[in-house]
Amino acid sequence: MAALTRERDVRAAYAAHSGELYGFAVRSLGDAGLAEEAVQETFLRAWRAGERFDPQIGSLRTWLFAILRNVVIDLGRARASRPRVAAGGVEPAVEPLEQALLAWQVEEAMRRIGEDHRRVLLETHFRARPYAEVAEELGVPEGTVKSRVYYGLKALRVALEEMGYED
Amino acid sequence: MRTDDHREWRLALGAYALDDLPADERAALSAHLEGCPECRAELRELEGVAALLPLADPARIEQPTARPPADLGARIEAQIAAEDAKEGRKRRRRVRLWVGGAVATAAVAAVLALIVLPLGDGENSPAQEVSFHSVPKGVSIDATLEPHAFGTEIQMYVKGIRSGTLCRVFLEDAGGRTYSAGSFRYRWGGDSEAELSSALDLSQATAIGVHAGARTFVAPLSDATAVVPGADIDPT
Repeated sequence: MAALTRERDVRAAYAAHSGELYGFAVRSLGDAGLAEEAVQETFLRAWRAGERFDPQIGSLRTWLFAILRNVVIDLGRARASRPRVAAGGVEPAVEPLEQALLAWQVEEAMRRIGEDHRRVLLETHFRARPYAEVAEELGVPEGTVKSRVYYGLKALRVALEEMGYED
Repeated sequence: MRTDDHREWRLALGAYALDDLPADERAALSAHLEGCPECRAELRELEGVAALLPLADPARIEQPTARPPADLGARIEAQIAAEDAKEGRKRRRRVRLWVGGAVATAAVAAVLALIVLPLGDGENSPAQEVSFHSVPKGVSIDATLEPHAFGTEIQMYVKGIRSGTLCRVFLEDAGGRTYSAGSFRYRWGGDSEAELSSALDLSQATAIGVHAGARTFVAPLSDATAVVPGADIDPT
């Protein structure tokens, strides 16, 4: 795809990337309605600026996420400027957007890896449970839990790389 | 170092990267790492991922992936179409050359045309472009009709209807007889240009219609405009 100037290009872009864009929009805006608005605005802006998209510079996915990031900032500002929010006198704690994007990518990658791997990572790492306890609960040797942690991290890395993550 | 030991150490690298190993095992694996560049390289990769894990919220991980509403794509499509119409940007409307796999269909249709249909002036009539006007807001249907010896080649451009809708296209002659031009299923996200053909000669056709799900839309060809072959008014 050389540019995003035809309606069918936008349609193809929507088919390929709307799920991820929407998932991130929900994650960062915390509201399904606003997320829909954000995705809609993202594709409209992409369409209007379609001639500026250059696949030599970066992937379509990266470009769309960059647009979405701006849309989310704009929506966040619009929301923050509403008197109802300002009346509290306290700025809501907002996760920086870059970090929110990375957090969402890690969560999405965790959802994409196999159930066995996800389970051991959730129990041992996020819930800080001892390997022996998790092994007993799952009815497997402790060594299996350890190897699932290893393969789980490897799978997670692959899933993150598929989403464009580079370290 | 024995191969089995190496394999065992390697499987412990995930727990090492997450700092989950008991002190004695950690010390032993550290000793192995000093002498094993392969494990050191692998550990670096795993540590990169392990460092990201604290960003994630386990409660969110266990929630199902959020999916956009099924009609969001169609809404975006309708809005883009509205803007497109307003700005006068024109979609690519190239009259395509007759190529490839369509030839077989053409041959069959040509034989049928010889047997059943009165012969018109065939390829001498110009290609026609027609927009359907009697459609609901947000929906647009356009067609390009091109004359051939076998009948008429039709390209349909549909937008704004529900994804998955079955569309059956037909041509109508002056006597009100209809001639099937085949069917296609409209898919949001797919290629919405359907290429179809009918055995009715374009010069004999007076209207084009489409049964889209339960609804039928018809556009008289008296509304059509002639297309200059090879013309391409897409700005790209």
